[in-house]
Amino acid sequence: MSSTSLAGGLPDAQRAPSPWLPLRFILLGIASLLTSVVLVVVRPDLLATYHYNQYIIAVSHLFILGFLLSVIMGAMYQMAPVVLEVTLHSERLGAWHFAGHLAAVVGLVWSFWSWQMLAAIASGALLTVGVVLFVYNLARTLRKRRHWDLASATFAAVLGWLMLTVLAGLYLAASKVWVFSPFNPIAAMHAHAHLGALGAFIILLVGVSYRLLPMFLLVELPSPRRAAFSLIALNVATLVLFVTLLLDSPWKLAGALLAVAGLTAYGLELIALLRAPGRRALDGGLRQFYAALSLLAPTAALGLVLTWPGLPATLLTTQLETVYGFLALAGVLTLAIVGMLYKILPFLVWLHAYGPHVGLRRLPALNDLYSQTLQTAGLWSYLAALGIVAVAAALGHEPGVRIGSSLWALSLALFALNVGRILSHALYPRNPSPN
Amino acid sequence: METNPTDPALHPDALLDTLREVIDPELGINIVDLGLIYDLAVEGAKVKVKMTFTVRGCPMQQSLIRGVRIALLRVEPVEEVEVEMVWDPPWNPSMMAPEVRERVGLPGCSS
Repeated sequence: MSSTSLAGGLPDAQRAPSPWLPLRFILLGIASLLTSVVLVVVRPDLLATYHYNQYIIAVSHLFILGFLLSVIMGAMYQMAPVVLEVTLHSERLGAWHFAGHLAAVVGLVWSFWSWQMLAAIASGALLTVGVVLFVYNLARTLRKRRHWDLASATFAAVLGWLMLTVLAGLYLAASKVWVFSPFNPIAAMHAHAHLGALGAFIILLVGVSYRLLPMFLLVELPSPRRAAFSLIALNVATLVLFVTLLLDSPWKLAGALLAVAGLTAYGLELIALLRAPGRRALDGGLRQFYAALSLLAPTAALGLVLTWPGLPATLLTTQLETVYGFLALAGVLTLAIVGMLYKILPFLVWLHAYGPHVGLRRLPALNDLYSQTLQTAGLWSYLAALGIVAVAAALGHEPGVRIGSSLWALSLALFALNVGRILSHALYPRNPSPN
Repeated sequence: METNPTDPALHPDALLDTLREVIDPELGINIVDLGLIYDLAVEGAKVKVKMTFTVRGCPMQQSLIRGVRIALLRVEPVEEVEVEMVWDPPWNPSMMAPEVRERVGLPGCSS
């Protein structure tokens, strides 16, 4: 007989859903990422010419919904119960959500590529149903939380911005079919994009890193007040930017300055974490995460320039808008997510493959599940690819975009190899190497 | 089952050695050298363990608690294992064994 008394109630991993719920979203995300990059290699004009056309809208939705949103939703299904110390409201709802999400992503990308706007609206409606299921599931999960802190406030804000982003996207698609919108379509698209990128993705990244980085680095968060300020500033900035971009108002500079203030506070907190006495050395995943976050500085600076009142719409400035979006999505968010996937994927696979054997035999560590050499090569080639694509896109230079995106594809192929190695442990668990 | 209190298998040091089989997979370090085991007491065939985690909300908690129970139950003549999770005092890196601190990049950490 054995017994376990638990001071804090239910153990945390018991709160997490089955690994297959997050895993299916994450694998869809990785497949979408690889497909998006291959499409850029095949069609470098997508980044080398003005960004308002059906093909770039299709690829950006494959990238944003297929990759970023899928991975983030999968990670939230996994992390929210653990971080909030409650159980997920319903795993079954999560499975239904995945089915709808997969169909919606495929439908949206196809309908944008072929510019079938009625089909886009139908797919967008399906996506909205999926997001409603997701938001409902997570909101019910949040309600179980007895006290509120930075993590729960972040999740609540992200769910709200995500819902608004999807509704704004549906409005945009409908305005292409029926003439009713009083807004400039390009301004509306920029407002929609910022609502999702800043409100849902960047705020989630910032809020989650306040929880995960201290955990991984084995230190306390240096200044919870500064952390709270950064999240408040980013939330207000999201609202201000959405309204001012939509109205094409010169006050969008105020929104950009608020975002820069929030990101500056975040950057100071990240530096303080690195300087915390007794912190653990950065491993490969954390180095990649920090590299991604350092790209926030040039991205925010470029964003500030682009919101400058009276900035003329020249060939260069419109290409700089592409570079800005590219750095935010492919630079900051993708690199950070790939870095975190080096934490999340081995964890999910380890729990499945080795969890039942804990205490029965010596087991491999998470970083034994993949090649750290491949990971390092992947990071450096990714950074080089980002630089090449950004410069070539700014100059509208198609061959340069093709060279840079080929390197980008190579870097992601190294990541895919490591993903394959990690997943192989689920099928063929191994003994650890002696140490 | 009758147990002999002088049974070497039930000596706390021997049981701690058994628990060295259980690692924190994120750090690749066993839970004993990591300083997660605060107390281990033997009462007949029952082992009582007080343990903590590096952080509240550690996603490996359930696996590690289960691992402690299974590892100790494999020791003859242990029949019962009680694991109590405690947060006081909170874990900090100075609780790690000096020889493993370097493995996580903490050479200057003093105990």
